[in-house]
Amino acid sequence: MFKTLAGQERNGFMVDYLYDGSFEGFLTCIYEHYYNEKASGIYRSDFYQASILVPCRTVETEENKATRVYDAIENKISREDLKRAYRVFLSSAEEKENKLLQYLRLGFQKGSAVSLLHSNPIVFEVQQIEKKVTVEMHRLKGLVRFSALVKQAPGLVDREILYCKVEPDHDVLEIIADHFADRLKSDPFIIHDKIRNKAVIAQAGSWYIAGFTDADLPGLGELERDYRDLWKRYFETIAIQERINPACQKRMMPVRYWKNLTEFR
Amino acid sequence: MDTTLEKLKILADGAKYDVSCSTSGVERKNNGKIGSASAAGICHSWSADGRCISLLKILFTNKCVYDCEYCINRRSADVSRASFEPKELARLTIEFYRRNYIEGLFLSSAVEVSPDYTAERIMNCLKLLREEYGFAGYIHAKVIPGVSPEILHRIGLLADRLSINIELPTKESLGLLAPQKKPKNIFTPMTQITQTLTERRQLKGPGTMFKNQDIYSTASDLRYLEPEGENLTPGDGSLLDLTGRPLAIHKPGKRGKEKFAPAGQTTQMIIGATPESDRQIVKTSESLYRNFKMKRVYFSAYIPIADSPLLPGRFTAPPLAREHRLYQADWLLRFYNFTADEILDEKTPFLDLELDPKISWALRNIEKFPIEVNKASLEELLRIPGVGTISAMRIVRQRKLSAIQFDDLKKIGVVVKRARYFITCRGRYYGGTDILPEQIRQEALDSEGIRNQLLPKADHVQISMFNPIVSQWGAGIAQRAGTVRSFEADALNVAEGVRSYTGDVQNFSGAGKERIHGGLPL
Ligand code: SF4
Repeated sequence: MFKTLAGQERNGFMVDYLYDGSFEGFLTCIYEHYYNEKASGIYRSDFYQASILVPCRTVETEENKATRVYDAIENKISREDLKRAYRVFLSSAEEKENKLLQYLRLGFQKGSAVSLLHSNPIVFEVQQIEKKVTVEMHRLKGLVRFSALVKQAPGLVDREILYCKVEPDHDVLEIIADHFADRLKSDPFIIHDKIRNKAVIAQAGSWYIAGFTDADLPGLGELERDYRDLWKRYFETIAIQERINPACQKRMMPVRYWKNLTEFR
Repeated sequence: MDTTLEKLKILADGAKYDVSCSTSGVERKNNGKIGSASAAGICHSWSADGRCISLLKILFTNKCVYDCEYCINRRSADVSRASFEPKELARLTIEFYRRNYIEGLFLSSAVEVSPDYTAERIMNCLKLLREEYGFAGYIHAKVIPGVSPEILHRIGLLADRLSINIELPTKESLGLLAPQKKPKNIFTPMTQITQTLTERRQLKGPGTMFKNQDIYSTASDLRYLEPEGENLTPGDGSLLDLTGRPLAIHKPGKRGKEKFAPAGQTTQMIIGATPESDRQIVKTSESLYRNFKMKRVYFSAYIPIADSPLLPGRFTAPPLAREHRLYQADWLLRFYNFTADEILDEKTPFLDLELDPKISWALRNIEKFPIEVNKASLEELLRIPGVGTISAMRIVRQRKLSAIQFDDLKKIGVVVKRARYFITCRGRYYGGTDILPEQIRQEALDSEGIRNQLLPKADHVQISMFNPIVSQWGAGIAQRAGTVRSFEADALNVAEGVRSYTGDVQNFSGAGKERIHGGLPL
């Protein structure tokens, strides 16, 4: 795989970088690429398969190096490309780090014009990945379904908390958190990414991300089932029989999301 | 709860034929307790008919004193009847909203007792939502024809979007099918809304393109409630042990800067119940855009639900393909600078059901083609079938850097298999030997299997990502870009994430300049 991406660059000094999987770690790798030996590829250390052909080196995440790259992308390429890089980083695309490396290198040559080079294969691919992440992020804003859980504590008034489970293709939790945190200021809520075992935990407009399992969740609120029924009933009623078009429904709302949707449960 | 369930069923059933569910076009920060509106619009689900569900679309009541021939809720129909209490519906909306089932409320209604009686109850429901619950989500309210100006004004201050259905393309059809609805009762409130929006310099969107109106952005400073400090009562700091949730904080008369229907005005007409031609329908919508600065005109294919000698028979299929073509024609009106007369002339009063109206137009005007993509103006590019607003903009930008090659077109987003008949690229024609309208028509039909694609796409154009965005920077950027007029800027967002769009346009303004990055980039 790395041959097509970085093969043409090899000149004997190249080495695979291994990093900790964080965005900062990735940015540190970019820094090293420019100030030390050239990277033949960037890989998460926990997924890396060593090869005898290419030496590898673990790059420790360093905040000041990461910050410099962060600022450089923003100032020398564009703010938009910084966001693009971040979104692509959150994707589950294969070899995303290497694609981003190529893209950023091009960006440092061309400046903000890089995003206009639609016919360049690297630009095209990075933009396609970004689109997938953006689409999922957008989709999820609609496809999250909260349930009201009730925490009962002796001596205290029962407290409702909104909870939902999602299984997104990409790691989009943190880019949707603001949206819901702003929206639900008066409700504490948890959005739980079941695949990655983490969750956004939010209250009164602020949020944080934490590792999470649903083991200790409280039970459903008293009216929760009623509202689910109401919604289901609404969902069924609103379809116009004369226009039934399941293919269209599936196209717009891929079936893989259905299992976490109240209306299909 | 049981009664609410019963009402929900009856009143959602009665509202489902309303087509408009778009929530886009207004960005609203959460300055209340709950809710915000996203300019890009968010679809929350898709019903079995493939239409996007973003709003709780419901009737306030279906107890109607009118007797419109085409309507299942008309007085003489034998259906179950129900009415919500303002409180009940407000609560339902909030509970659905909290669970993220919906993006807001689309509230329509039959006429119970009188227009004002019903409108007042609707107003009370919206007031509860905005003031008691502090709800800052999206509200679209249908206005009942004949409502008094005072109540309409107050509803306008609570809702994001207002609409009054024009119902039918001509006065004659209205007189025949909805005898109690007088044109005057429809147009008076419509005019009032347009006037209020004009006075408040709030008009924006497609409807404004006809008179070169300035576009004022109102989206950014929108609010109903002053920001309040005591939103939440913190408990001992742990998330689950907070006590009490102050949902209802009533602040009478303190609603901050009031905006009147910030997401503008729309309307809807029924297609295929009456004999009007497509040309008549498109002309009617054009005049609605012109005269009332409508944000959107929606079409709804008539679905026979009642036996009536005045209407198509019970088992007539709803004209979905026609509806789809009308939406495409509407798109040409709003974003591609076509006039109704160009789309359909007296000789061709009906849209070709098999072909996109843009191709039909191009085939009728074949002498204007082929167009050289490296030279044509933005306006000309927009008229090429297969070239959309985004790809047209990209062509203009990219050719400043270097001439566009035929192979680039696909990546730019041009539908090449359609466009190739109508363009040259660096002087070369790729559409075959000659431009022969009949042949192109045949090939276009063959290659796209258009017959199979005649599914309702109306909602397709409405769904968030594909929806025109009118936001503060939409207009601003358009000005910077110079050549792009505001309504085109709206369309630029079609099919692209908002973010990447800003990126493109930002880069666009700097595209001509060479940027030199010597040495290390950091
Ligand atoms: S006014 Fe006419 S269209 Fe509206 S609910 Fe009554 S009968 Fe139906």
